[in-house]
Formats: sequence, structure tokens, C-alpha cells
Amino acid sequence: MKRHTYVLTYLIFSLLLPAPAAWARIKLVALPEREATVVRLDNPAATLLEEERVLTLQTGINQIDFAWKGVQIRPNSIRLTILEQPAPVTLLTVSYPAAEPESLGWEIASPSGQQIRVRISYLLNNIDRLVTYQAIVRKDETALNLASFLVLRNFSGENLPSSRFQLDYGEAFDSEILTGETKRMQFFAATDLPIKKHFTFDAAILPWDPKQVGDNVGIPVHYELQNTTDQGLGQHALWEGKTRLYSDDGHHSTIFLGEDQAEFTPVGQPLKLTIGDSREVVVTQRQMGQQRLNERRNQKGNDVVLYDSEESMQVEIENFKEQVAVVTLKEPMPEEWEMKESSHPHKREHNQQIIFEVEIPAKQKTVVNYSYYRRNVRPVN
Amino acid sequence: MFKFNFKPFVITLFSLSLPTLGHAKIDLVTLPNRDQVQLTIYNAADLTLVREQRTLTLTQGLNRLEFSWAGTLIDPTSVQLEAPQHSDQVKLLEVSYPPNITGSALWKIDSKIAGEIPVEITFFTSGLSWQSVYMATLSSDEKTMQLENYVRVDNNSGEDYAPAQTRVVVGKIQLLDEIAELARRQPPYGMPSGALLLGGETLVAKGGLEEDSKMKLQSRRAEVFDAVTALSAKEIVKEGLSEYFLYTIEGTETILNGWGKRLRSFAATDIPIRTWYRYDEQRYGSNGPQQFLFFNNDETHHLGKTPLPDGNVTVYRQLPEHQHLTYIGEVYTQYIPIEQEVELNLGQTQQVKVAPVLMNYHTENYLFDQKGYVSGFDRVQHWQLKLANYRNLPANLEIFQHFPHAYWNIDQATDFTGQFEKVDLDTVKYTLTLPPQTKEYLLNYTLTLFEGERQVQVH
Repeated sequence: MKRHTYVLTYLIFSLLLPAPAAWARIKLVALPEREATVVRLDNPAATLLEEERVLTLQTGINQIDFAWKGVQIRPNSIRLTILEQPAPVTLLTVSYPAAEPESLGWEIASPSGQQIRVRISYLLNNIDRLVTYQAIVRKDETALNLASFLVLRNFSGENLPSSRFQLDYGEAFDSEILTGETKRMQFFAATDLPIKKHFTFDAAILPWDPKQVGDNVGIPVHYELQNTTDQGLGQHALWEGKTRLYSDDGHHSTIFLGEDQAEFTPVGQPLKLTIGDSREVVVTQRQMGQQRLNERRNQKGNDVVLYDSEESMQVEIENFKEQVAVVTLKEPMPEEWEMKESSHPHKREHNQQIIFEVEIPAKQKTVVNYSYYRRNVRPVN
Repeated sequence: MFKFNFKPFVITLFSLSLPTLGHAKIDLVTLPNRDQVQLTIYNAADLTLVREQRTLTLTQGLNRLEFSWAGTLIDPTSVQLEAPQHSDQVKLLEVSYPPNITGSALWKIDSKIAGEIPVEITFFTSGLSWQSVYMATLSSDEKTMQLENYVRVDNNSGEDYAPAQTRVVVGKIQLLDEIAELARRQPPYGMPSGALLLGGETLVAKGGLEEDSKMKLQSRRAEVFDAVTALSAKEIVKEGLSEYFLYTIEGTETILNGWGKRLRSFAATDIPIRTWYRYDEQRYGSNGPQQFLFFNNDETHHLGKTPLPDGNVTVYRQLPEHQHLTYIGEVYTQYIPIEQEVELNLGQTQQVKVAPVLMNYHTENYLFDQKGYVSGFDRVQHWQLKLANYRNLPANLEIFQHFPHAYWNIDQATDFTGQFEKVDLDTVKYTLTLPPQTKEYLLNYTLTLFEGERQVQVH
């Protein structure tokens, strides 16, 4: 176990002779204890470590050696900030010794013998954090309890005893972590968060006729909750992370519903958590008609160069559940199109996709019909 | 040090006296046996949710619990501890996976109370599975059927499971990672991206798994036998939860490693069935029709209490003499929700024939463009479907025909007494019943396909 995997030494040279080339290490000062170590995990790309030290300087130029053998420090990220100095000091140079690639030296000129407080900051590789979630869904699927866990992974080569960990939101907390250690701790918990359950049939992805497939065509199911204060959250963004969902089974136990990778969800935005596929909702889609219209020819009248077509679709949705199912139909569209008629209201998600939100009563079947004009089709020669 | 009987992960408990990096094990407390174990086994994934109830003796303040899962198939990231009766007083603060140790973790538990505290420990494991199997027996006249459904649980986890409440889940679950893979992953949450283990940081397995008690084969057989004799009285309680159905087997089960158990889930008799023959060249080829069994998962068919899980169906037919059976076929059925129609494809049959024959072909109604090139015409095809039924029972037949595009017209023969239906823009279906021993029945129709500009002109 490494208590200190890098060494901060500072060797103080008083500038007693005018020729700098003749400097010699004259005094080795005991390693000062580091204080106020802060591990900033607010940027997933890199972890910033900040630590404070009190240095005792002598009059003249002082050299401070900083070595990090075996620790995954990014050398160019190291910086020294003077926090407290009774008399102003000057940071003269930063040098990287050829013989010791994992070290550097600072030269600080001090007008008098004094103690100064400095902060050393650097980016540390191989230390990061994950966020995971656990959700317990109420049996009636109207709300869930959400717990978030922070997982610290330290493989940086540096032990971090008694450090303060700062995330990009929430209060900082004190903990400790060895190199090679992983730690999981609960980060926050929220109860009774209202949810809505959705079924989504994407006609561009899923088979249209389940009977042709020979196996069930599962319709993806997700819960949606809002990261807002009125819905029990909204204090901060939710980081991305693996989410495991369970359901209260009504017998003082749970079953596992499934897991999903929660996406980063800013305040005010919905969080969608997919649990799996439903086999209780069956969607069968068919194209019932196609008719060429408005043929336009070249000047000689030989060839059709442009035409429209009328396309008719039928989507049958069967709900075998004992509850209402809210089904989202995602229907692909051609590049140029114009709706002729539809049995249900739709909205344009983007130019080549329309969406129907259909509520299917329990144990009922609903048929969505729509037809559209496909405009300005050029025949393929 | 305590060892779980049913699961070889090791738990030791000691109070926390040193809050710093140097973890010291002191005041070792032996845990009492588990109070109850519950297995929830999934079939759509190699996943079992294990929940056990146990009584921990905690001291007021911080307690440390060490658990080891080396050699098991447990996903360590899934392990949770809760004290449902003291949820405000007992909290799992932290789980630490220390360096240089594989298959072991330390829990830091904060307890506001001292004494014996009932807790629940849950985790995922792999290696247990279940499947649904059916036996269908048709009556001699193929009008009714007896259907039995069994739940078969297999234990290949490498571990014995002492009496445990056993539940199985029907449903398609979404998993991001295989549980078996997570059980092998070291460190449990993986490494930071791009990270390498540093020199001198070689992870060394600690202690490891205690060997399970080696029961003699004879006593294992006796245990299994005892369990099997108890099956006759067991019921399986079924209930829906979200998109899943939960089957709870009455009482507890002992499932030894390498053994399987089959329990009857339900049996229904006198289920009215329909036997149909379907010809669809696009789906099944041109060799002949497929034989199908149809029935509904509803009360009319003496079913409909639960969905029918997907599984293998072995189909027999009752012979009139001495209760002999004849084997019809085996088929895998998909999951059938309550009230949905069940469609069992028993495969191709030689007893019913469908042979489409093109008897005549000509083109007509040509259109020409200004240069005199052909710009449209009609293909007229006279089709004859030659049908036969060599069985002693009537054959209900449905024939799907697919056309190359959406521009067509069909003229039926006047003597056709069956049903005709447009399925979609280029598919039609004929439905008819052939009497027993029909040597030949000719179904005639004329198909006109409109090509080129005729497609616009006709429509």
C-alpha cells in the first residue's frame, strides 16, 4: 500500500554567491504534509487534483522539486498557484530534469525567509467516476423511487486519503480512495417521481407483419420522467449512467424490469428509460394501396419524367393488456410528401418521419389509416 | 467467518474502528444462517435475481461487512443491502472494492441502532435458467386438444440451491451487459477508459471461495427424489407485472447443481381447435402447404388465465385404439398474450396438395408513345390451382398469392364457392374447405397485370 506515491521535496538554496552556476543543494527540508486535497470530477474527460502545501522559503532563490514516479499525472497540466505570501515571491522557472522524466523543479525567488501557502494543480489520468441509478417502480407504474450512486475508480497510482471530492453539482464530500480501489456510494435519492409509460413502434426498424417473423415482435417500452422541480427532481442535471429498474411486486419483494443507459438529462428535460420489449401490444402494418398520378412527360412525349403517387397505409394495433397502452407510431416518409388524409392526428417529427400518439384501450384494437401523396418522383431508368 | 449455504460468497462482519485507509478486521462477528432465499429466474436472459433475508448483528455506528464472490457467477455491481424494517436507521453508505484483492468488497454500514437487524441482500447471478415446454394431444377427430404446460428449471450455476422460493419471469428484458461477463470483470466496474494497471499493482486473489460441502451422490438423489414426490401438490401462482408475467412456485425448491426440475404449470382439456393448411410460396416455398393448429388463449378455449410463454410444443394425436398416440410434430411457439390467437405451424404435409399451374398467358391493350415504342400493356394469366385432400378429414385451406406490383385485377371463376380477400396491395388470400378424400379440385382465376402506362390509364 502506497501512502504517498509521489514525492514533493523542496530543496532550498540560498543565493549566497553571485554565480548561479555554482548553486549547490545545501538543505533538504522535510516533506510538508499536503492539505486541502480537492479532487474535481466535474469534467468527465479529465480529473483535476488540487492540493495545498505550506512551503518554508529562505531569502533568495529556492528550488522545489516535484516528482510523481508511478503516478499518472499529465506533466503539462501541472501548475503552481501562490495563495498566501507575507512578502511577494516570484516564480522564476519551471524545469524538467533529463534524468528524471517524472519530475519537475520550480525556482521561486523570495525577498525574505517566510512561509507561503501554495496550491499545486494537475490533471490525473486513470481516475474517474461513473454514475449508476437504481429505480424501484410502483406496481401500478405511475411513479418510481430513484437512487443515484457515484462510483469512483482510482487506478492513477496515487492514494488519496482524506480528500474532498467535488462533482459538477451537489455539495462536495469527504472520502478516501486508494489506488487500485473502486468505491460506490449513494449520491442522491428521490421518491415518488411520477412516470408515464410509452410503447414505441418504429416502422422503419421493426417488422411490419409479426406473423411473417415466426416469433414475437417486441414493442420497446420506456418510462418517461421529468427532471423538473414540480416532478420531484430539477435540482441539477442527471448524468448519463447505467440504470437498473425494478418493480415492486406487491409481495414485499421486487422483480427486475430491465436496464438502460440513462442519457445526460439537463434540468427541464425528460429522462427516458427503456426496460425491454412488450409482447402484449401487437402492431401489424400493411401498405394497402399505391397509385401513380400526375404523370409528366418530356417534350417529345416519349418518356414519363415525373409523377406523383398516392400511398395508403394501414396500421393495426392490438392491446392485450388490461391497462390502456399509449403507443407512439413512428412512420417513415419520403423526401417530398403531402398528407391526404389520416384517421388519427399526427405530428411531423422531421421531414421524413411522422408520429401518431394513439391510446389503445385495454383489450382493444385500433386501426390507424393514412394516405399521402408522394410528390415529384423521378422514374429510375 | 460465515459461509452461505446456498451460495458460496463469504460474508464477515466487523465493526469499524479505523476510518482511514488501513482497514483492520476486528471484532469479527459470525453471521447467523439466512432466514429465507428467493430466486427470480428469467428465461430471456441468463439472469437470476437472488434475494435473501438474513439477520445481522450490528453495533451502533459504523459497521463493516466484507463479502467475497470469487468463483461464483455473481455480478458484484448488483449487490445491494437494505433493512426494510429499519430503513431510516440502517444505511449502506459505501461499497469499496479494495486494491490487490479480487472477488471481495467491503460494505460500510451506518446503523443508528444496535442489535439483531433483519436485512435483505439482493444480487444478480447467472447459470440458472428456465423454459416452458408443452405437450399437446389432439383428439382423434382433431376437433379438440388437451394442452399441458410445464416449467422446467435447470441449475448450471455450479452451486447447489438449498430450499428457496422459486419464481420465474416471462418476458423480454433489456440488458446492457451479460451477467456472466460482469461476474468475471475485474475490477467490478471496469477501468477508466485508456487505463492500464500500473506496475506493482498486480491484483492478487485473496483467500477465495470456500469449497462447498460435498454431499454424497446418494444423499443428493434422495433429496431430489423427496422434492419430486412433493411436486404433485404444488401450484404455480401467476400474476402480471409491467410487461412481465411472474410465476411463483408454491413452497420452496431445492435445485442441485447440474439438475433440472419440471413442474406442471397448467393443464387444459377439450380445447376446441381448428386445423388449417396454408400455402404461401413466398414464405414456405412451393413444396406444399403447411399444417397449422389454431386456437385462442381465452376462456372459450378453456385457457386465457395467463399468457402462454414461448416454448417447445410436442404435438401428438390420440388414436382410437387403446389410448395409443401418434406423433404429429414439434414446434416452437411464440409468447401468446391472453385472448390472442395461437398459431402452431406443424410443418409441411403431404396429405394436402396445392399446385399452382399457369394454364394460359397472353398480352393485350398495348399503348405506344409518340416514337412508336411500347409504353404500356396488360399481362393476362389464367391460373389453375390444383388442390387435393388425401385425408379422411376435411381440410381447411388458405392460399396466399403474391403479385409483382400493386396494379392488378382478378376475375374469379364462377364456380368458386370459397372466400377471396385482398390482404394488402399485392397479396390476396383464398380460403376454402376440401372434403375428405378430394382427389382433385381446380381453383381457376384470371390475373391481369397492368404494365407501364396502363397502370395510370386503368386507375
